[in-house]
Amino acid sequence: MQTHAHAPSSPVSGELGIAVEFCGITKQFARIAALTDVSFAGEAGTVHAITGENGAGKSTLMKMLAGAHAADAGEILLGGRPLLVANPAEARSAGVATVFQEATLLPNLTVAENLFLGREPRRNGLIDRGAMRRQAEDILEKIGVDLNVNVACGDLAVSEQYLVEIAKATAQDARVVIYDEPTAALDAQGVEKLFRLIDEQKRSGKLIFYISHRMGEIFDICDTTTVLKDGRHVRTCRTAELTRDGLVALMVGREIGHLYPPRKPRPAEAPVALSVDDFAPIRGGPAVSFSVYRGEIVGLAGLEGQGQRDIVRALAGIAASPAGEARKHDRQGRQTRLRPSVVAVVKAGVGFIPEDRKSEGLYLSLSIERNIGLGMLRRAPLASRAQIDKERIRQLMRAMNVRARDARQVVSALSGGNQQKVMIGRWLAAGIDVLLVEEPTRGVDVGAKAEIYRLLREFADQGGAVLLTSTELTEHLGLCDRILVVRGGEIVAQLPAASATEEMVMRYALLGRPQEGPVQ
Amino acid sequence: MSAARPGLFGRSGLGVVSLGLPVVMFVLLAFGAQDFFSVENVTNVNNQITALAIVSLGQLLVALIGGMDISVGSAISLTSVILVSLGSWVAVPVALALGVAIGLTNGVGVALFGVHPLIMTLASMTFVQGLALLIRSGAGGTVPTVLVDLAQGHVFWLPAALYWCIAAIAFASLLLYGLRFGLRLFAIGSNAQSAALNGVRVAGPRLTCYVLCSLSGVVAGVYLTGRIAAGDPSMGQPFGLDSVTAVALGGVQLSGGVGSVLGATLGTITLGLITNGMNLLGVSPFFRGVLTGLLLLCAISLQRRKAIGI
Repeated sequence: MQTHAHAPSSPVSGELGIAVEFCGITKQFARIAALTDVSFAGEAGTVHAITGENGAGKSTLMKMLAGAHAADAGEILLGGRPLLVANPAEARSAGVATVFQEATLLPNLTVAENLFLGREPRRNGLIDRGAMRRQAEDILEKIGVDLNVNVACGDLAVSEQYLVEIAKATAQDARVVIYDEPTAALDAQGVEKLFRLIDEQKRSGKLIFYISHRMGEIFDICDTTTVLKDGRHVRTCRTAELTRDGLVALMVGREIGHLYPPRKPRPAEAPVALSVDDFAPIRGGPAVSFSVYRGEIVGLAGLEGQGQRDIVRALAGIAASPAGEARKHDRQGRQTRLRPSVVAVVKAGVGFIPEDRKSEGLYLSLSIERNIGLGMLRRAPLASRAQIDKERIRQLMRAMNVRARDARQVVSALSGGNQQKVMIGRWLAAGIDVLLVEEPTRGVDVGAKAEIYRLLREFADQGGAVLLTSTELTEHLGLCDRILVVRGGEIVAQLPAASATEEMVMRYALLGRPQEGPVQ
Repeated sequence: MSAARPGLFGRSGLGVVSLGLPVVMFVLLAFGAQDFFSVENVTNVNNQITALAIVSLGQLLVALIGGMDISVGSAISLTSVILVSLGSWVAVPVALALGVAIGLTNGVGVALFGVHPLIMTLASMTFVQGLALLIRSGAGGTVPTVLVDLAQGHVFWLPAALYWCIAAIAFASLLLYGLRFGLRLFAIGSNAQSAALNGVRVAGPRLTCYVLCSLSGVVAGVYLTGRIAAGDPSMGQPFGLDSVTAVALGGVQLSGGVGSVLGATLGTITLGLITNGMNLLGVSPFFRGVLTGLLLLCAISLQRRKAIGI
C-alpha cells in the first residue's frame, strides 16, 4: 500500500464552495434499484472519496455525473446549475472529466490522437498534426509522463495506457475530475505520479471524486469521504473524523433475512468432492489450495475483480493454461484430474453455471425441455438418436417450481429466475455432483432467489458439492457453509459462514491477512 | 477492444502482403508477358481499373467503420441506365441524387436500426439492380458526348482515366488524413463505444460513409458509361464484391479501424494486373476467378497469421 507516495495534502480545503451537488438521485436498471434517493455535495478544492461495498452504486453514481446514465429521479447540480442532458460530450463540455475504469483509448490511434480525439486542433479546416503533437507533449510533460506521442496506444503497456487515460482527462479544463479505481492498473511509480497530479488539481481548485475501496489511499489522500451502501447514501464526512474500523462498519450491516434455507451440520467424515492444490488460473500467477466436501456450499468472497471468477472459470476448464492441480473425487473415491477443457470437466461430473447465463449458458431460442435435455445427452455419442426423457424433465420442472406454460416454451421468454432454474436443471438431469456457480442470483427477483437457494441447498444435502462466487456478501453469509475470502488472487481467510459477520469478511477483503492488517 | 490492433505499419494495415503482391505481379508480368510495357497496354490497364479504383475507395470508407457495401455495383448499373435515358444535363444530377438516396437508405438501416451491413446492402443491391433492369432491359442507348470525352479523352497527352484515378485518390486522402472526419472514422471503426465516450458522435459519420460509398458508385458509373459509350443495366454487377476483394487484398481489416488509401489502391492494381496478365498470356478468363479466390485466402491468412495461428 502506498503510504508515502503522495505529496503532503494541503491543510485548508473546502473554502471554495460547493462544486457538485447530488439531489435525490434515484436510478433503476431492469427494475432493480441501483441508487435510491442519494443526496450529498462535493466541495471545490477537495479530494472526495466515494466508497462502499461491491454494488453499492459508486460507479453508477459517477457515471451519471459523467453523462453516461440518466437519473430516473433527482438532479445533479454542477456549480449550482443542473446538468440536463445525459450525454458524455455534454458533461465534458460542462467541465466533468472522467478517468474510466475500463480503458477508452483506441488502440489504433496514436497517443496524441487519443488525447485530442473529439476536439482535434485545426488549421484552415484541416487537422493540425504539428500542433496536436506539440500540445500532447506539453500535456504529458506537465504530468511527468515520458512517452512518444506518435506511438499507437495499442503498443503501450497497460500502466502506460492508463497514464495516457489520466492525461486525457486532465488535458481538458475540467472543474470536476472523476477517478474510478485508478491505482488498480498502475505500478508504484505510476501511483506516485497520480497522487502528485491529484494534489496539483486539488490546489488549483478542482473537485476530485475518487472511487476506491483501498483504505490506505482513502486515508492518505482524501479530504472527505462518502459511503454508499446498497445504492443509498450512508454518510459524508471529513476523512479525519473516521477510523479504518469505523469506515468498514459504515460499509456493512444488513439484515440477512429469511431467504436462506437452514444448514445441516456437516458430518465430520464427509468425503472430499473437489480438491484444489496450488492451483493458479494463470501460470505464474497467485495460486490457491482448498477442498470442497460433499454436502457443502463454499463461497469465494471478496471485492470485485480479486480473482474469484478466474478461479471458478479455470476449474470449469475455461482458462487456457492453469498451473497446479485440481481433482474431482467421485462417490466411490476415484479421482479424476480436471484438465483445462470444458468437455473433460463436464465428463468428470462438474457443471458450470456462468454469471451471464443468457450468452454463455442457455440456448435462448430453444425450449425448456431441450435446454434441460441437453444435460441428459451428456454421455450419449454424437451419432446416437437424441432421446429425451420427457417425464424426467416434467419431474424436474415440478421439483424446481419452474414457472412456464409447458416444457416446450422457449427459454428466452422466461424470467431471470426461471432461466436460472433451467440452467440448474440441466446439470441435475446430467447427474452432475459438483456445481461451480458464478453469481447464482444475478438478475433474479427476490421470490425466485429463495427458490434458487433452496435448490442449491437440496443439491448439497443430497451429497453434491457447490463452489460459488458472489458479489453479495449476505449471500455468502446466508447460503454458504464456508467462506473463502479472496484478495489479489489468494485466499486470505477461511471462515465458517454460521459465525462469520459482514464486518469480518469485509475486513479480510479490504485489508488482507491479519498480520499485514491495518498498516499505519 | 476490437481486432483493430496496429501491425507493422500501424493502422494503415499495409504489410508485406499488400505491398508485395502488386510488385510480384508486376515483376512476373514484366518478364512473362512481352507487351506488358507497351504504352497501349499500360493505358489499357489504367482504363480497366479506374472504375474499380473509385469504388474501392468508397468501399474503404465503409470498411473502416467495420461495415460493407455490396450494393455499390448496382449504383453503377443504375447510373448507367439513367445516363442514357435522360437528357445530358439532368442525368448526372439525377444519378447523384439517387446515389445519395441509396447511401442514406443503407446508412439509416445500418447505423440507426442496426441491420447487419451485409443484409442491408444485399437488399438495396437487389432492389436497385432490379430498378436498373426495369428502366432498361439491355445494353444500348446514346451517351452524351461530353461524358464520352470526359472518359476517353486525353489531357496533356495523358489519358483521362489517369485523372479520374488521381482525383479519387486525392479526395479520399483529404477525407481520411486531412479532416477530423477521417480520424474519427478510425476511432469509430476500432471501438464505437470508446469513441462515443470520447465525445465522438457515431451515427452521423457512419451514415456519411455509406452515402459516400454509394456516390463513389455513381461516379464510377459515369466514368464507365462514358468509356463504353453505351448504357448497360448489368454493367456494375461484378463491382460490389470485387471492391471488397480489392480492399481486403490491400490490408484493410473488414472488422474496422485499419486500412489506407494506398492499400485500397494497391489492392485494385493487383486485381487489374491479374486480369491483364490473363489477357496477355492468353489464359482462359475464367481462370481469373480461381486465381483471385486463392490469392485472397492466402493474403488474408498471411496478414492475420497471429489470429488464425499459422
